[in-house]
Amino acid sequence: MRPETLDNINASARVEEDVLAALGRPGWRYLAGVGLCALLALMLFTLWGGLIFRGLGLSGKNHPVGWAMLITNFVFWVGIAHSGTLISAVLFLFRARFRTSFNRSAEAMTIFALMVAGLFPLIHLGRVWVFYYLLPYPSERLIWPNFRSPLVWDVFAVTTYLIVSLVFFYVGMIPDLAVARRRLPGVRGRIYGLLSLGWQGTLRQWRHYGRLYLFLAAFATPLVASVHSIVSWDFAVSIVPGWHTTIFAPYFVAGAIFSGTAMVITLTIPMRRWLRLEPYITVDHFEAIAKILLFTSLIITYTYLVEHGLSLYGGNPFERDQYLYRALGDYRPLFAVMVICNSLLPLTMFIRRLRRSLAWLFILGILVNIGMWLERFVIITASLARDYDPYAWGSYNFSVVEFGITIGSFGLFFLLFLLFARLLPVLAVTEIKQGAEERHEEAGMQGASERGSEAYP
Amino acid sequence: MSGVSLSRSGFLLVLALAAAALALLEHGGPAAGRGAFLVTLVFWTSIAQGSVAVVAVTDLTGARWSAPLRRELLAAVPLLPFLPLLFLLLWPLSDLYPWAAAPTAWLNRPFFLARNLALLAATAGAAQLFARRSLRRDPARVRFAIAYLLLYVTCQSLVAFDWVMSLSYPWVSTMFGAYFFVEALYAGLALAGMLFLLSGRRRPGEATAAWPAARRDAGLLLFGFSILWGGLFFAQFLVIWYGNLPEEVRFIAVRLSASPELCAFFPAACFAVPFLALLSARAKGSAAVLCAVSLSVLLGLLAEKLLFIHPAAPVRFGGLLAENALLLALWLLAMRSRERLLPGDGEGNAAGREGRSGEGC
Repeated sequence: MRPETLDNINASARVEEDVLAALGRPGWRYLAGVGLCALLALMLFTLWGGLIFRGLGLSGKNHPVGWAMLITNFVFWVGIAHSGTLISAVLFLFRARFRTSFNRSAEAMTIFALMVAGLFPLIHLGRVWVFYYLLPYPSERLIWPNFRSPLVWDVFAVTTYLIVSLVFFYVGMIPDLAVARRRLPGVRGRIYGLLSLGWQGTLRQWRHYGRLYLFLAAFATPLVASVHSIVSWDFAVSIVPGWHTTIFAPYFVAGAIFSGTAMVITLTIPMRRWLRLEPYITVDHFEAIAKILLFTSLIITYTYLVEHGLSLYGGNPFERDQYLYRALGDYRPLFAVMVICNSLLPLTMFIRRLRRSLAWLFILGILVNIGMWLERFVIITASLARDYDPYAWGSYNFSVVEFGITIGSFGLFFLLFLLFARLLPVLAVTEIKQGAEERHEEAGMQGASERGSEAYP
Repeated sequence: MSGVSLSRSGFLLVLALAAAALALLEHGGPAAGRGAFLVTLVFWTSIAQGSVAVVAVTDLTGARWSAPLRRELLAAVPLLPFLPLLFLLLWPLSDLYPWAAAPTAWLNRPFFLARNLALLAATAGAAQLFARRSLRRDPARVRFAIAYLLLYVTCQSLVAFDWVMSLSYPWVSTMFGAYFFVEALYAGLALAGMLFLLSGRRRPGEATAAWPAARRDAGLLLFGFSILWGGLFFAQFLVIWYGNLPEEVRFIAVRLSASPELCAFFPAACFAVPFLALLSARAKGSAAVLCAVSLSVLLGLLAEKLLFIHPAAPVRFGGLLAENALLLALWLLAMRSRERLLPGDGEGNAAGREGRSGEGC
């Protein structure tokens, strides 16, 4: 352990002050942002109410395109939810230090995105009051859900993911809640005290905490892959051309990490500025996360090439026509934007100067998410619009109600995130302090190593 | 083979002799059973390219566990230029491919040969350039690692789509390419797992204080890759099995009925054995466990390649054993001669040795 010197104590106190300053009195800009997002969220629920009372005819869904914008939103938001656990759990296991700058925001993002995602299957149901048919409950009619259906797998996978993500988020925050308890006076301090579950920071507590956190990280990591794999199988286990393809599971997982990373960048760049967290979320950290964006973009591009290339390879006319339709048919403008945003623009991340430009990263994060939303839209609607039988072909145009619900879902997501930024510590205070101590110790060890000692960290 | 260390010219001579022996083995015997050479070539391409890819990935990510084994893993680099030569030996076997009778714009003999030769040669060239910089710890190695990895992914994808998948033309699995390059990386990691034991015993005098921690990290990675491999295998299998389309599921059904034992063996060897054996922290740090698990993974990968190829191109098992033994001997020779064969002699070697003993710090 690093000895407690006056410098260390001052540095620790400063980290706590800087991070907990965000929990202070909000300014008018923040309140205006909350108000705007709340209005958009209200629009979402109003339009959903309209769909319930007037029926799904208000949406643009038709025969044959029965899955459309609402399911696109579900896949998009589940995808956004992925990077939270990835950044937090996987980077923890790989001992990537830049994780501490993003993990709390990313974990919060996971939970809010899952909450928003969970709304869409319910909205899509139409008769939302029978949602419990999805759950395997003992019924006097002995009716069970079809366990061979990936839609039921979805219910289990997303619910499990939400529970584990919530536990992971909460457990990771306990030491920081104890800091807030110590620092904040009055009722707020007492609320944080209750939430911190009596954390005292004893060696015994840290030992248990470390083991639990490692276990949760190891448990959550395969869960990340499994959830979006199952979402991909909603499509892939069908025999619809363009959906029935083996690469869908890794493709969806990589796409989810790609869009989630872009969303983390989009959220943390303004948050860092508004909450004055520049010393803790540095440009180096953004450069590291930009490399993840580039890596996942390359996987996505590889998948586009393989899917489209192999549709021409095997001589299957349905597959070939489906992929040609995506690229050259009714959805060609969307397809072009998708390729530009997901494959071409991220290549700029090969240039170091652009990786370190926060303005470009912010714009790119937004563009990537536009591209990824369009990708899901094109996959879902184009395959249904052009199935096997030309007699059953059709097309899809979204309605104003669906568009409003989509915009409203972003409002709800940002509202939840804004509330989080003012109510909970946005950075992992104890981990930042711990990281600083480790770096200090390593600097000491390096000095010793230069004098002849050798060790593996 | 202890004590044998060849110069570059000597190694080239041995490679030429090995190519002649392989040509004789493959083309001197009966026409039936020529799939053995394809199995051997696919398997050793994945090991040779995969072990270099492991170093490239660790250099790119700044991981330090591979530092003690960098030179051993890069010992496969002198073998990479040999692969295009071996691929040429495949030329007379191209009538094994069903598309040979009715060529298409993509699948026709001249283009098949040209693109694969070009990619194998380019990957070998990129590996040479990368290895030189990696051993010297040149900061520019990161760029060369990226270039090598891009070529590696493309090359392994073509190994999957061209060499193996097109044997069952028009059967298609879009995951096949990704599955192969992940498997090659898995093979490279398994090789590293074995080297901790084999190489550690041969270097008792060297500073190996850093090895237990590096071994634990390698064990962790092998454990993680076993889960990744299991996930990819299942994702591919499920979609085909569940879809139950005759033109797709036939690929699985034929192999399940032809060799159910092999079908059970390779998932056990590549997933169940490493997953169960490496669950405990102590096992991850044990050189013997790591070596045994790595051997299981490599055997599983060989069995899987055999299963993919055997029904479409019959395999002579004697030939398969002889060819794999020859390639193993070549790799061991490259390992023994690595100080003389690898780029970066003199200053580079010094840097390499320093890396092995001190860089893990």
